Amino acid sequence: MKIGRSILGSFLLSFTLLLCGCGLAFANAPIVIAGNEIPISLDPTSYPSGDTMMGVGAAEVLFKADPKGSVQPSLAKDATQIDEYNWEIALRPEATFWSGEPVTADAVIRSIQREGKLNPKASPYLKGIEFSIKSDYVIQAKTETPNVDIPMNLSHYTLVVHNTNEKYTYKSIDTADYTGMYKVVEYEPHKKIVYERNESYWGQKPKTKRIVYEEIGDADARVIAALSGRYHIVLNIPVASKAQFDTSNTSQIVSVPAANTHTIYLNLKKPGLDDPKVRQALAWGVDREELNLLGEEGLSTPVTVWIASNPFYSDFKNMFFDSYNAQKAEELLDGAGWKKAKDGYRYKDSKPLEIVLRTFRTDKAMGEALQIQWDRLGVKVAVRHGDYSLIQDARKTGDWGASIEAWSTFGNVVPMLEGQYSPRGAGNYGGYADDRTNELIGMIANVSDSGERKALVEELSLHIAEESPAIYICPRAQLTAVSTSLEGFVPHFRQFENLVNADMRLKGQ
Amino acid sequence: MTLFLSSIVLFVLIRQAPGDPITLLLEQPGDLSINDASLLEERKQELRELHGLNDNVFVQYKNWFTKVLRLDLGTSIWTGRSVAQEITTALKATLILAFAALVIQVVLGIGFGILSAVRAGGFKDNVIRLLCVMLASVPGFVLSLSLVYFFAVRYRIYEMSSDINLYRVWLPAMAAALTNAPRTIRVVRATSLTEMGQAYTLFSKSCGVSKRIIIRDIVRNSLLPIITVISISLVQMIGGAIVIESIFSWPGIGSYAVNAIMLHDYPAIQGYSMVTVTAIILTNLMVDVLYILVDPRLKSAPTNG
Repeated sequence: MKIGRSILGSFLLSFTLLLCGCGLAFANAPIVIAGNEIPISLDPTSYPSGDTMMGVGAAEVLFKADPKGSVQPSLAKDATQIDEYNWEIALRPEATFWSGEPVTADAVIRSIQREGKLNPKASPYLKGIEFSIKSDYVIQAKTETPNVDIPMNLSHYTLVVHNTNEKYTYKSIDTADYTGMYKVVEYEPHKKIVYERNESYWGQKPKTKRIVYEEIGDADARVIAALSGRYHIVLNIPVASKAQFDTSNTSQIVSVPAANTHTIYLNLKKPGLDDPKVRQALAWGVDREELNLLGEEGLSTPVTVWIASNPFYSDFKNMFFDSYNAQKAEELLDGAGWKKAKDGYRYKDSKPLEIVLRTFRTDKAMGEALQIQWDRLGVKVAVRHGDYSLIQDARKTGDWGASIEAWSTFGNVVPMLEGQYSPRGAGNYGGYADDRTNELIGMIANVSDSGERKALVEELSLHIAEESPAIYICPRAQLTAVSTSLEGFVPHFRQFENLVNADMRLKGQ
Repeated sequence: MTLFLSSIVLFVLIRQAPGDPITLLLEQPGDLSINDASLLEERKQELRELHGLNDNVFVQYKNWFTKVLRLDLGTSIWTGRSVAQEITTALKATLILAFAALVIQVVLGIGFGILSAVRAGGFKDNVIRLLCVMLASVPGFVLSLSLVYFFAVRYRIYEMSSDINLYRVWLPAMAAALTNAPRTIRVVRATSLTEMGQAYTLFSKSCGVSKRIIIRDIVRNSLLPIITVISISLVQMIGGAIVIESIFSWPGIGSYAVNAIMLHDYPAIQGYSMVTVTAIILTNLMVDVLYILVDPRLKSAPTNG
C-alpha cells in the first residue's frame, strides 16, 4: 500500500513538475518569424540589415511612419521647424544604445554621416542637409533648399541610429550597437537571428522575451512553414498561395498593399516609344483590373499615377487614365502614324511597333497578360523573363523596350520624384528628360505648405500621365501569414519594417 | 592538373555571365530610387577597386589563384566574410544530409534490390519495380513538397526551421534517398540476377549451401557497380541537393551556391566550384581505392594488352 502511494505520489509530483516546466517554457516561448532573407551583415549600411533590425524593433530611426502613413517621433522626441531652412531635433536624454552609452546629438550625427558615406541609398535623404550639435540632446539641421521635410527624410530605414565608436565595426554581435527594444544574441548570416529583450530599453519594454527570425528562401517552403504552425509571422507569401490559408486554423493572411507601384518602365530611345502619343496609347490600352487579377490575384488596387500607392496621395489613384480605353489607344496609335496591317500588327515606314518586355521574379504572369493586352492593339510584345541582372545588362546594351519593377513611393517626395523623372535619377531607366517636369519638381521642393505641395504633386502627376515615360499598374500585394496564436500584430504598408511591437505576444502568455 | 584547368575554365565562364556583382549589390530592385546616379557610380567604382574587379581577367585570376594555393578562397563580395569559412559551414550541413541520405539509400537499395532479384518475376518483385518507376518519375521537388506537407503540416511530426540537427535531417535525407534509391535498387537487382546465373551460385545451390551464404556471396560480387552508383549519388549530394535544401530550408552548399550565383558573387561561386571539383576528384580516388579493397584482383590486373 505504502509503495503504491509512493509511486502515485512520485507520479503526481513528476506530472506537476512537468506541467510547471511546460508552463514556464510556454511563458518564455519565442515569437518565430520567417522571411525570405536574413541579412548578410549586421552593418546597417548593408541592405537589408537596417530593414530587418527595424522590423523586429532592434534598431530605431529618429522618426517612423505609422500605419496610416503619418510620420511620428520615434527615437527622437520632437522636431521643430525654426524657419524655411532650419530645423531642431530634440532627442530623448533617457535613450541609450544596447551598450548603455547615451544617444547624444553627437552620436546620432556620426551615425547619419556614416550612412551618408557608406550607403548610397541614404544619400537622397541627406543631400543638401547639414547637421550640427546644438546641445547634448538637440540637433540642428540646416537645409540648402527651403522646407525640406526633415522628419520624413529621417524616417527611412537606411538611417537607423547606430553607435559609430571605433570598436563597433558591425562584423559580429559583439561589435554591433543599436538602440532598440530587442538586441541580437545569436546571428548566422543567411540563416537565423535570435533577439532578446533589451532590459535597459528606454521605452515600453516588449511583452515577449525572445524573437527568432529565420530565413526560408523558397516561397513554397515558406507557405508550408506558415501552415505547419511553428512560425508566428511568415513574410512574403506568394499571392497565388493565399487560398491555401482559407481553411487553415493555424495561420491567417494579412494583406496590405505596399507603398510601391508596379511600373512598366519604357525605353524612350526605342522607335515608337520616343513618341508621347504612342506611350499614352499604351497606357490607355492597359487593363489594370485584369493585370491586378492575373498578376496579384486581385489583392491590390489599380493606380494610374506612380505616387498614388503612397497612403498620403492615395486619392490620385484614378487620375488621368480613369478607365481601360482600348479604342482611345487605337486612335492615338493611328494618329501617331502606326497603322494596322493585315497581320493585325501596326507598322510605320514598314517597321513594326515591337517591344521587348523584360520581367523578373514574380512578374512573369503580369508580363504575359500585358503582352496579350498590347497584342490586341497591334503591338508585338516579346516577354523575356529572368534574373534581375539580365534587366540590368539589357539597360546597358539598350536591348529592352519595357521592364516591370516596383519602386517604393514612401518617403520624402522630392528625392523620390527626382529618382524617377530627373535626368540623373537612378530610377529613370528610359532616359526621360523634360523641362516642365524638372520645373515642377523644383517648385515642389521649394513649397512650404503641405496642401500646396500636394496640389503641385497632382499637377506633376497629370503632366507625367500625358507624357507617359512609364505606365503605372498597381501596388504590389504584400501578404503576411500571421499565426492565430499571436496577439497584437499590426498590419502596415511597410510590413517588413514593422513586424514586432512591444504589445505583441503569444496567446495565453 | 584537373583542378588547375577547371579553375581557369570556371573563372572565365563566371565572368562571361551577364550582370555585374557590384551593380546587383547596390541596385536592389524595388528599393529607394536614388536621385543622383553619379553618387551611385562613385560607390560602385570604390567597391570594384576594393574587390579588384577593375583589373584585367588575367591579373584577377593570378591574384585569386595565389590565394587559393594558400587555402584562402577570398572574401565574398556580398557578405564581406571569408568564403572558405562560409563554405565550411555550408559543407558541414550538406555532408550531414548527404551521409544520412546515403545510409537510407544503401539500406533501401541493397535490401529491396536483393529482395527483388531473389523474388524475380514474383509479386514482390513487381511491386518493387513499380515503386521504383513511380519514384523515379516523380520530380524531386514534388516528392519533397509532398513529404514536407505530410509530415510538417498534416501530422506535424517534422519541425520546419533553418537549424542543422539530427532531428531535422531525417526528412530531407529521406527525400534525397527516395529520389536516388530506384537507381540503386535497379543496379543491385540487375547485378544480383547476373550473379545468380553464374556457375558458382548454381554450384553452391546444388551443394546445398544455405541461402544466406549464397546471398552474401552475391552481394559481395555485386559490390563494384553498387559502389559506382553510390559514389555518383555522393558527388551529386556534395554538389548540393539544391531543390531539397531549398524546400527543407537546409542551409547546405546547394543553397549557398544558388545564392552566390543569383548575386554574381564571384569569389563565392569560384570557391563553391573549387570545392565541388575537389570533391569529385577525391570521391573518384576513393572509389578507385574501394574497388581494390573490395576486389583485390584489380590490384594485380594487367595494365595493358
